[in-house]
This record gives sequence, C-alpha cells and structure tokens, in this order.
Amino acid sequence: MRNEIRFVLNGQMRAVSGVEPHVTALSWLRADGLVGSKEGCAEGDCGACTVALGEVEDGRLVWRAVNACILLLPQLDGRHVMTVEGLRGQDGSLHPAQSLLAESHGTQCGFCTPGFAMSLFALSRSAEQPDEDEILDALAGNLCRCTGYRPILDAASALPLDEAPTQEAESARSLAAATSEELSYRTGNAQAYAPRDLDSLIRIRADHPEAWILGGGTDLGLRVTKAHQVPRTIISLAEVGELKTLTETETELVIGAALTYSRALPALARRHPDFAAMIRRIGARQVRNMGSIGGNIVNASPIGDSMPALIALKAQVELAGPQGRRLLPAEDFITGYRQTALAPGEVVAAIRIPHRRPGTAFRAYKIAKRVDQDISTVAASFSLRLEDGRIAEFRAGFGGVAAKPLRALAAERALIGRAWDETAVTAGMAAIDSDISPISDARGSAEYRREVARNLLKRFYFETTQTVEARLA
Amino acid sequence: MSVHQSKAHDSAVKHVTGEAQYIDDMPEPRGLLHAHLVTSPVAHGRLLSIDTTPALAVPGVAAVVTAADIPGKNDIGSILKGEPVFAEDLVAYVGHPIGAAAALTPEAARAGAKAVKAEIETLKPILTIEDALTAESYVMAPMEMKRGDAAAAIAAAPLSLDGEVMVGGQDHFYLETQVAMALPQEDGDMLVLSSTQHPTEVQHMVAKVLALPYNAVTVEVRRMGGGFGGKESQASLIACIAAILARKTRRPVKLRLDRDDDMMVTGKRHDFLIRWRAGFDETGLLHGVEMTLASRCGWSADLSPPVMSRALSHADNAYYYPAAHFKGFGCRTNTQSNTAFRGFGAPQGMIAAEAMIETIARHLGQDPLELRKRNLYRPGRDRTPYGQKVENFRLPTMIEQITAKTDFAARRAQIRAFNSQSPIIKRGLALAPVKFGVSFNNVMMNQAGALLHVYTDGSIHLNHGGTEMGQGLFVKVAQVVAEVFQVPLDSIKITATTTGKVPNTSPTAASSGTDLNGMAARNAAMAVRNRLVEFIAEHCHGKPEDVVFSDGRVRIGNHDMSFAQVARMAHAARVSLSATGFYKTPHIHFDGKSMTGRPFYYYANGVSVSEVSLDTLTGEWRLERVDILHDVGASLNPAIDKGQVEGGFVQGMGWLTMEELVWDEQGRLLTHAPSTYKIPTARDVPRAFFVDLLENAPNEEMTIYRSKAVGEPPLMLAMSVWLALLDAVAATAAPGKVPRLDAPATPERLLMAVKRASEAA
Repeated sequence: MRNEIRFVLNGQMRAVSGVEPHVTALSWLRADGLVGSKEGCAEGDCGACTVALGEVEDGRLVWRAVNACILLLPQLDGRHVMTVEGLRGQDGSLHPAQSLLAESHGTQCGFCTPGFAMSLFALSRSAEQPDEDEILDALAGNLCRCTGYRPILDAASALPLDEAPTQEAESARSLAAATSEELSYRTGNAQAYAPRDLDSLIRIRADHPEAWILGGGTDLGLRVTKAHQVPRTIISLAEVGELKTLTETETELVIGAALTYSRALPALARRHPDFAAMIRRIGARQVRNMGSIGGNIVNASPIGDSMPALIALKAQVELAGPQGRRLLPAEDFITGYRQTALAPGEVVAAIRIPHRRPGTAFRAYKIAKRVDQDISTVAASFSLRLEDGRIAEFRAGFGGVAAKPLRALAAERALIGRAWDETAVTAGMAAIDSDISPISDARGSAEYRREVARNLLKRFYFETTQTVEARLA
Repeated sequence: MSVHQSKAHDSAVKHVTGEAQYIDDMPEPRGLLHAHLVTSPVAHGRLLSIDTTPALAVPGVAAVVTAADIPGKNDIGSILKGEPVFAEDLVAYVGHPIGAAAALTPEAARAGAKAVKAEIETLKPILTIEDALTAESYVMAPMEMKRGDAAAAIAAAPLSLDGEVMVGGQDHFYLETQVAMALPQEDGDMLVLSSTQHPTEVQHMVAKVLALPYNAVTVEVRRMGGGFGGKESQASLIACIAAILARKTRRPVKLRLDRDDDMMVTGKRHDFLIRWRAGFDETGLLHGVEMTLASRCGWSADLSPPVMSRALSHADNAYYYPAAHFKGFGCRTNTQSNTAFRGFGAPQGMIAAEAMIETIARHLGQDPLELRKRNLYRPGRDRTPYGQKVENFRLPTMIEQITAKTDFAARRAQIRAFNSQSPIIKRGLALAPVKFGVSFNNVMMNQAGALLHVYTDGSIHLNHGGTEMGQGLFVKVAQVVAEVFQVPLDSIKITATTTGKVPNTSPTAASSGTDLNGMAARNAAMAVRNRLVEFIAEHCHGKPEDVVFSDGRVRIGNHDMSFAQVARMAHAARVSLSATGFYKTPHIHFDGKSMTGRPFYYYANGVSVSEVSLDTLTGEWRLERVDILHDVGASLNPAIDKGQVEGGFVQGMGWLTMEELVWDEQGRLLTHAPSTYKIPTARDVPRAFFVDLLENAPNEEMTIYRSKAVGEPPLMLAMSVWLALLDAVAATAAPGKVPRLDAPATPERLLMAVKRASEAA
C-alpha cells in the first residue's frame, strides 16, 4: 500500500503526503506557487481554474480539461497534470493555444485566460480537427466577461492539432511504475483509498460507512468548496476498473457507474442521439470529463438530467453490495428529494439501457436559461411506439417538476391505446398536469414549469408527426 | 505612427502564460493573515449584541473586528454620509458586514467568522421598488429634469399612450472577485494593494477609517481581473476591512471575497421600474413625454444619485422630445447597495425611450424603425431635455449605412413571410440606436494627471491616474506617449497605478479613462519633448521648429541622434527629463439643481441590428445574427476598441436576456454564483456577428488624437436583441397589440409574454 499521492505535474514527478486529502487541486497548486490557475467560482462553473488532466487510455496519454477547483487531491493520483505554467515549449516558446489567444486579442482582463488556454490545449490534443460545434463545446465551460468570445473563437478555429512530445510516453511509464501499488493514504485522522476492484470497494465501504464515495467529484467537490465540509475518509472510484467499462450487448448498453460522460458519449450518440445531445448539455466539458451518469443519479437531485431519459428508455440501475447484486428500474432508484434506494453498503455498479425496439421514437429535451452549462428548469424525455396507428408504448420521464425525477404515469395511461393525434396530445398534456408538482425557485416559477412540461409533449408530437420546425437548431 | 494602430494588450503575453499577477497571486508577505467577513443573515434588523469570543477560540484566529474597533470614522459613503464599514445599530440587508475575522489560513478565518455570535432583532424589510415607492423610502431627494410643459403638450397632442416596463439589475461578475491586501508600514502608515477602479477614493476611505492623513495611506493597483463599475466605490469596503484588521494586528491582511460573498455583499446594476406617458400625432411624431424612473438603490446611496442623473439624461436616447418631464426616485430597499455598472443608469434610461417608441409604433401599426427615424434628433429639433444641443449628429447616416448593409427591409419582409408559415418558431428583427454622453456628469471629476520620466538610456517610465481592468487603457496611453516621442511602444514601461505618483485622481469610469489620462500623459510627454526640442535646437545651433522625432531618432539639420543619445545629452546639460501632465475637459458645465447645462463634451454613437428566433412552446431563443456600426471617432487602437464593442454588446445581451437576479421573500439573494446566475457563454454569441467601427470619423471635439470613448456605449447596443425578441413575441399577437416584455427577457418571461399576447389575440 502506498501512502503518497503521486502524479506528474508539468512534466515533473510529484509526491504529496501530509496534506489532507480533501484539499482541492487548485488550492494545492496555488500554494505550490503555480498561481496561473485562478479561482473564479469554486464550483466548477466558470473555468478560470481549468487544468488538463492526462490519463493513459488504450495505450496513449489522453488529455482532458478539468476544473481544478473541485478536483480533490486523490483524484490526481496516477494522473498527469498540466497547468498554464507548463504550456510553453522547452525553448520557452508559447504554445499555439497561448500565442493565438494573444495575437487574436483574445485577452482583456486576463483573469479567465489561463483557463481558456488550458481548454484550448486539451482541444489541440483532440484526435481529429474539431468542427465549430466541437469548439463551442470545448469552450462552454470557460466564462469570459470581457471579450464577448469572438476573438477567442477565432483563436480556437486557427488552433492546429498538437503532437504529443516523446517525453510524455516516457513520463507515463515512470508514473505507472511509481503508482503500481494501490493508494492507501493517511494523514492525521484523514484518509483516502483508491481500491482497484469492486469487491475491495465494497469491503472498504463496509469498514468506513461514513466515507465519501468520490467519483468525478463534480458534485461532491462542492461539499468542500461551498458547504465547507471536511470528510474524514474518501474512497475514490478512479481505479475501480469494473466501474469504468462500457459494454454493448445484443440487447443493451451497460455503462459502468463511474465511466465519465465524455467516455460514454460516443456509444450513447450511436444508440440514442437525443440522449447524447442532452448529456452534452450537462455541465460543461470540464464537468463531463470527470462526472458520470452513475454520479448524476446517486446524487438524486430533482433535476439530474440523465434520469428522465433513463426512465423513458426503460433503463435499469445495477446495484452491488455486501449481499450481492440487484437490478432496479430507473424510476425506482431515486426515492425522494436527495434520497435513493441504495441500501447501506451498496454502490451503483452500472446503468443498463436496453436498445430501443425498431420504430420507437425517442426525444430528450432540456429547457434552461442558457444553452450551455446550465441546470434544467425542466427536463423531459419521451419514447413512443405506434402499432397500427395506435400508441402501443409510451413512456415519459420528467425532471425539475417535483421533489425527484419522475415517470409521468398518468400521461402514459392517458395516451396508451389512443391514436397519436392532437386530441391525444391535449389529453396527455392535461394528464401531465396531474403527474407533476413543481415549485418556484431561482430557475423558474411553478407556472412556467407547468406550461413548459405540457408544451414539451406538444413539441414531441410535432417532431414525430409533422414537418414544421418545432425546436431551435 | 503609434496611434490609430491595432496593438495587442500590453499584458497579452502575461495573460496567456499566467504570469500576469493579480493581488491574490502575489507572493504572500511574512506573517500574512487572511480575513473573512461576518455578515447579517437577515435583511433588516436591530443589532443588539455581538459576541466575538467564540471566534477568538478558533485555532488560527488572530483577531476579530467590529464597528467598535474602527479607530477613525465608521463611514465610507462615496457621495452621501451614512454608509458604515460595519453595521452598528441596524443591519440593512442579507450580507451586510458586521465584522471580520483574521486568521492564519482562509479556512480558519472562515471558521472564526462563523463562530461570531450576533443577536439581531428582526425588522420588516422593504425589498422591492414598488414597496419602497409606497413607503416613500428613498436614499436621496427625488430628481426632476424638464424642458417645456410636457403635460400640456401631451394633452394637446392628437394621440397619447402610456406604459410600464421593468428592467432587472445585473451582477458585474468580474472574474476576479473583490480583493485587497493591507500592509502596515513605518509610522502607522498603510500600503494597500486594492483591486479598485478608484485608488484615490480607497486612499481617502482607508485614511478616514484609520484616522490617518491621506499622505499616510498609499493605494496601488497594477491590474484588475475585470471591474465594469463594480470596483469603483465598492472596493473601498474590502480595502478598509483589510486595513482595519492590519492596523489591529500589525500584520499584513488579505481579504478576498469568495464568489458567494462577493455577490451577496456587494452592489450591482440598479433595476428600474419605468413608467412613461407620451403625446404624439398620427405619424408617430412625439409632442411631449413624461417619464418616471424608479431605481432600486439598496440599503444606502452609494453612487445612486449620479446613476439616476445619467438615467434621466439618457431617457431621450436618440430622440427629440419637444417637451419633456422626467422624475427620478432612488428607492431605499433592504438589499445590496447598487452601484456603478457600465452605462451607469444610461442603459435603463434608454430602455425607457425604446420601450415607448416600440409601443407607439406597434399601436399605430408602423414599422418601429420608421418611428425611430422620424423622431431622431436633427437640426432645429436638437435640444435635449437637459438643454444641451445635439450637434454633428451621426446617427441618421449611421442608420442609413447599417440598414443598407444588413438588407433590413428585405429581411423584414422575409421574416414576416417565415412567421406566417411557422406556427412554433417565430423570428424577430430590430434596430437600436445608441447615443451616449461622454464626460462625468459631475464636472469636477473630469480631470486627470500623469507622470512621465525619460531615463538616460532612452527608456520611458509612464504613470497616470487611470487603472487597468482589461479595457486596454494602459496600452492606449502608452501609444499616445510613443506617438509624442516617435519611439517604439516597447520602450515605454507601463506601471501600476498608485496614489503616491499621481494624486487626487478620478475613478477610471464613465468611459473616460483614455480621454482624460491619454491627454494628461500627452501633456506630460509634450512637456519633456518641448524641453528636449529647445535643448537640441540650441545644442545643434538650429531652430526648434526644425527638430524632428521619428523612428526612435531625433534629427535637426545634418544631426541625426538616437532618442537615447538625446536623453543622455540633455541630462548632461542638466535638462529635466521628468514631467507631470494635467488635463481637464473643456466646455462642460452642468447645474445639478435645475439639471441643465452641457454635461457632455460630445456624444458617442452606435447602431445595431439583431435577428432572433423564438420557440413559442418554451420561450427558448437564439440570436441568429448581429450587425453593429459603432462610432469611436478616430480609433487610437481599433483592435482594442473592437474588443470593447463586442464585449460590451455581449455583456448587455446578458443583462437584457439571461442574467436574472432573484431574491426570496426574506431578501436573500438566491442567485449568488454562476451555477444560478447565468452570464453569456461562447455559444450565446451568434456565428454571424459583424462589427464595424465607423470609418473616417474623427471626433469634432479636440479629444486625444480625435478618438472617442468606447467603454460603456456599446453595452446598450444589446437593446436590439431585446427589441428583436419583442418583435418575435409580437408576431404571435393581434395587430396593434403590444406585448409587454420586462428584462431580462428570460425564456420564462418570453413564454409568458407569448401566452398573454396570444390570449389577447
């Protein structure tokens, strides 16, 4: 067992001990003198703290932009970290992400700039030349209050793909050797574990019922930075291989609970493009590079954008615990406001999404104040299959309209067996009204949520039956 | 030539490498303590007692201060008295500072602050403008601006209408939150590093709370991570608290607000309730206008009086009102004390004008653009409600240019056709003009100073009273100096603003930074240049008028010397190579009582055309295309100016469409972080975003190289987005019906407006 967090920082091997494991990467970096990364919000919403996190995937080091402000130290273990201070070439020359930003007048006050530079660096390590949508996606998690973004987008469009320098492979090998032993970190009365298989995870979990189970930390990290809680024990899922797999069988897609959104996206985009489009609106890329569907549902937020789609797609949640494994329909997993069906000692192992029957229409809608990186005011997903002109199957999942994400059973009952026409839509809309019980908050009034929830069924109707434009591009 | 060229921001490379230092990035001095605020959890209450002892028991806590620990005056009101650093008897909003803890780490300071026990008797708060108006709860005497007899003109006009619109506030959301570090010096002096747009005011306030003469306090700022007005008056609070703790502990103290505290504690753009009444004829030509503007000032006056005065002096926007009567009410509420924000009231005033024009046009069934053009200022109809004559008015031609370039009429027809075919998605198109008066309304503030040294190697040290918050002021002023001496830009060292070098400065605000400091720096540079000219002419037995500076060299007759050589020779001949420069804006005057005069040296102008798509099922919308033509006179630096135009527009779009501040019924701000407060992201900027600076348009006034101010005016170009959304909503309404659309036009407001419009139809 290893009592040191080890990672490669800007090309140099670093070992951390004696620092409490809930300390964020940003705090640690800035205390270490690397003050280029800034704190703008401490909640993963502004991107001023963006650094690149490198991990070996399929034999090559893949760099992804992440928010250092909500990244806890154990999450750096066995990873490569690049900050703005590490971007210059060995000869001191600026990285194209830097020179292009400067030349295109993409900096004004400069406070957000290091974060943009790091998002652009990660983009420059993409496998293929990004298109416009990909560029917007890569920058959605970086807020700039000065420029209006146009010059930054110009810099991004001109950005060439970057070759990985040979030293990277070398340092990846030495890091792998330095972290071959499992992390079991202790300082004072705080500790962090990073088990490498599901069984040890469940064992350690049983020994530490008070522990925080740390997946991507995109929600849990905020408990440190916003609620100012201090965990005594952290169990990181970063090394539990089984939770990071993706399997596509004849009948279903099995997504490991800790597999990041980013890594789940390609398969989801093939199977359920609308679900993938919805996931691309969860957080921003920095968040999706760490967060997972598993984390999204365990978090049991009333909004959690993936749940309405999982409900509409008839997904199942696979749980694992000391008593073995069990399956639950997605709609039964979240039992109330911030409450789940997890028994003590249990963890989510996977999300199983069955393939759709041919002819099943599926849509996932997210309504928010802003397109990117916003939390839904209302989220809705519908799936529909007609037989002989009648509705044979219809499922509807909603988020943001009750204390938990819900399956709209009344609406389903109102629609099944009917012809899919405007009368049915009217009946369905009335039934939705009885399914939901929204509240008013900073994101929207109950009245607006009701109106939108109903109207989204109408949108679904237009989209599945007519040619009129019913959704903005 | 150094001016009129696109030059990169002087810190651009430091920005992209992360080497540009903000206050929190500086090496921390020995013994530094971190501070954290103790704030009121209630919106209104009587502060009965404060117990700091539990805080002092928290490990690492070195000191806790409250109002009782202030050695000098507990009042940092910028204009009016009555704004304590720490609440004494009353707490007046959720977030109101009542004390602060200093500790070895930020975490310990937070824990210390949390441990302070305050006993508060809760009182009923006033939270909204309506409630304040009813209670006649004001922070200042109501203001009035009038010309002619508006009531009579409206009564005599063939037609009349009235209306109401609400426009929301806006958080500055500078990426760098408020921060200051106070470092005790010898003799009880205090050095304060402050992220501030107004170092002189911070100096005065720190001196006041510490009971020191001004010369014992030095305030320095190299750069801010954004300001936008939010660090004009409100930076003093942060700096004073750091200084009070530093004085008490005799140790350096840093206070950096986290984002939640920054948004909960500091003020924002004022939200406004606008009521108007207009008399006009069948063509839509205005005869008389009455307006009532009520702003939510929050718990104290701060800069609310001049914000209102600027709102009133921009409630005409670009239109001639033959008779006008405006009233302004600054409402005192139990919320954050609202403050300067890019535009400083003018945007809210202009919204009043545009809402009125839009309503009248739709009521008459006219194209709003035609009505706008009909009512523009023009010769003979050129007197503003405050009496200033609008001269050399550029907007009529600019509107012609942009409507031609954007194919406005054809697109209007296409959109009509599209909307008639499209039941769910509706499009909207609108043009908005902007006329913005440049100068501080307060004449005294229109002055600036600079300090310039030429060293004997020819390098130049430049300092002035302006502060750099990202707007590119420093590079522009350096360009001016490079132009005077005809030396390369990189031979000029741009240095941190400090009250020790240039005293008694005005804030970097009101878009005036370059106009004022550029001129002051030019005057300083000219003073040294004139000495060099005189010296070198005499030395070379030539005439001063034959001395030529160019390409880093000085020539006269057959003599050809480098600038450095000349500096050395001048020094050897005991010529002073250092000078101060001073500037005051000419020709301006304003009588605050009658609210008349010529407050503005000139007007900056702009015009924008926006096209939107609106989803009438959800209220979601997209900005499809934006065209802008903006007047910056003869631009000192077109790249920097374009950056201001684009950035201002996007910030204005955020204000009018997505940035929504929500308070609960107890007066707690619910949107105090970017998770809930949404500013525009890259995707919100349209792919089709075309920005042109007006060409061949030097300022008629003698401004610095005939340029025009550019900081604030472009923000208001975003009115065209709001108007285009209104146009899209109107596509769902019966002809002649005018939907009301308050700002920000969030999807919720848009959907509800569509619902009302279609119900009415």
